[in-house]
Amino acid sequence: MAAGLSQEEPVNRRQFLRGGLRVAAMTGVGALVGALAGRSATDGTVWQIDPARCLRCGQCATECVLEQSAVKCVHTHAICGYCELCTGYFVPDPNALNTGAENQLCPTAAIRRKYVEDPYYEYTIDENLCIGCGKCVEGCNRFGNGSLYLQIRHDRCLNCNECSIARVCPGDAIHRVPARHPYLLKTTVSH
Amino acid sequence: MKPDRSPIRLTRRGFLRTSARQAAVLGLAGSAAMSAARPACAGSDTTPNPFAYDVSRLEKFDPKLARYTEARQFRCPRPDARRMALGPGGNLYVAAGNYVVILDANGTPVNELALTAAARCVAAAPDGTVFAGLRDHIELFDAKGERKAAWASPGKKTWFTGLALGNQGDVFAADSGNRVVLRCDRAGKVLARIGEKNPQRDIAGFILPSPYLDVVWHTDGLLRVNNPGRHRVEVYTLDGDLELTWGRPSMAIDGFCGCCNPIALALTKDGRYVTCEKGLPRVKIYQEHGALDCVVAGPEMFPDNARVGAGETAADGVRAALDAAVDGQGRVFVLDTVTSRIHVMEPRT
Repeated sequence: MAAGLSQEEPVNRRQFLRGGLRVAAMTGVGALVGALAGRSATDGTVWQIDPARCLRCGQCATECVLEQSAVKCVHTHAICGYCELCTGYFVPDPNALNTGAENQLCPTAAIRRKYVEDPYYEYTIDENLCIGCGKCVEGCNRFGNGSLYLQIRHDRCLNCNECSIARVCPGDAIHRVPARHPYLLKTTVSH
Repeated sequence: MKPDRSPIRLTRRGFLRTSARQAAVLGLAGSAAMSAARPACAGSDTTPNPFAYDVSRLEKFDPKLARYTEARQFRCPRPDARRMALGPGGNLYVAAGNYVVILDANGTPVNELALTAAARCVAAAPDGTVFAGLRDHIELFDAKGERKAAWASPGKKTWFTGLALGNQGDVFAADSGNRVVLRCDRAGKVLARIGEKNPQRDIAGFILPSPYLDVVWHTDGLLRVNNPGRHRVEVYTLDGDLELTWGRPSMAIDGFCGCCNPIALALTKDGRYVTCEKGLPRVKIYQEHGALDCVVAGPEMFPDNARVGAGETAADGVRAALDAAVDGQGRVFVLDTVTSRIHVMEPRT
């Protein structure tokens, strides 16, 4: 074996450099092709939250690179019970069922409550105020039908290569979805 | 001065070995750098949520109110148990999946009836006739378990969620889809519609954000019906006159929590109400006119139910419910729909 090794042609510096350059060039071409392929794969996708996996941890409000998070509460009215005592709107034990600030659960008063008819009220989200904290989502899920949930709004989202919220999401609820179906909306309630 | 052009004696094996060594070192360094740069993902589970929705203080109640203790518990042999009723011989009739499962009071299976669709409610007559409420119609089985009839669906939106039997052959069916309690005869003919919105009779109507309308008949000849969206219990005559309402919304132990509770009712022999709630899963007993009497079981008894109801699992939180039935000895049987377990609660002596 040792005899075999000693018979190998020695590599001079020029050959070594030439070989190294060839390998570097091929690696570069490979990396370029890989990067282009990767970009074409993510070009048609956007980040979105799967409501079934969301744990309402509050980090959507704090981890987004935007000053005000691109995550907003959305409301599927078809599921909503239009409850007088909406547990997404009111703190757990409100003094009264009115719009007093002390009774509201939302830290930014981003939910609007509008009387429809006895005893129904309509709740809508003011996205300019919503910070995506998920507090209302927790209240609605815990006691109600879960018609309030979080979604990444694509009129704001920068579609970062790596979503800073997804990196810390404890429920692993944020994934890329096809841009032609950018939202994961709830549609029905089962029983 | 010319540099020394003598060839470096580098063999292929030596070159590969050196390259591999360098690649390994670079890989380790890169991995360490990435780990250092990555935020503490795992730590996010322990990071306190500044926006937490905390109801833990509301899960506690005065221990003096707890006047029942769990004697035992057993699991329904079929999954997806939804509702439960007591029948002849003290047997439990459980609507579970596409079956009505009959268990004795110790949880031993006695029989089961196969249905064509999911059973959503059940009642059993003293003669052993079983009434199974499917989503849009009711099926009858005799004491041997033979299917005897299937009533026509009374309406397009029918969604049966509760059944009760009177002593004159009346069958009361709570239809969440149409927000009405139907009074039927044993042939399925509708005799009266009870609880529909009717300002002339001063009836506000049932409010059901989720389909949990229930009905119970008592020997005083009156019906008790829950009205979850109004957080109250309503008492009706068999002709549909509203006699009495009681209940108030509150997370406190004497009220009905959340957006829509109570979700299920039962009656003790002396006419007290057993109420079941979701959200904060708890079972309580109220006196005849609505004053809180005691707590049968609090949220601590149903941790899985509370977790599912809070949306902490992938399971459908709307299905996290409780049901109750009371036997002649005053024992309260509590069905947890998440675990399909039946808790037998006995009064403390």
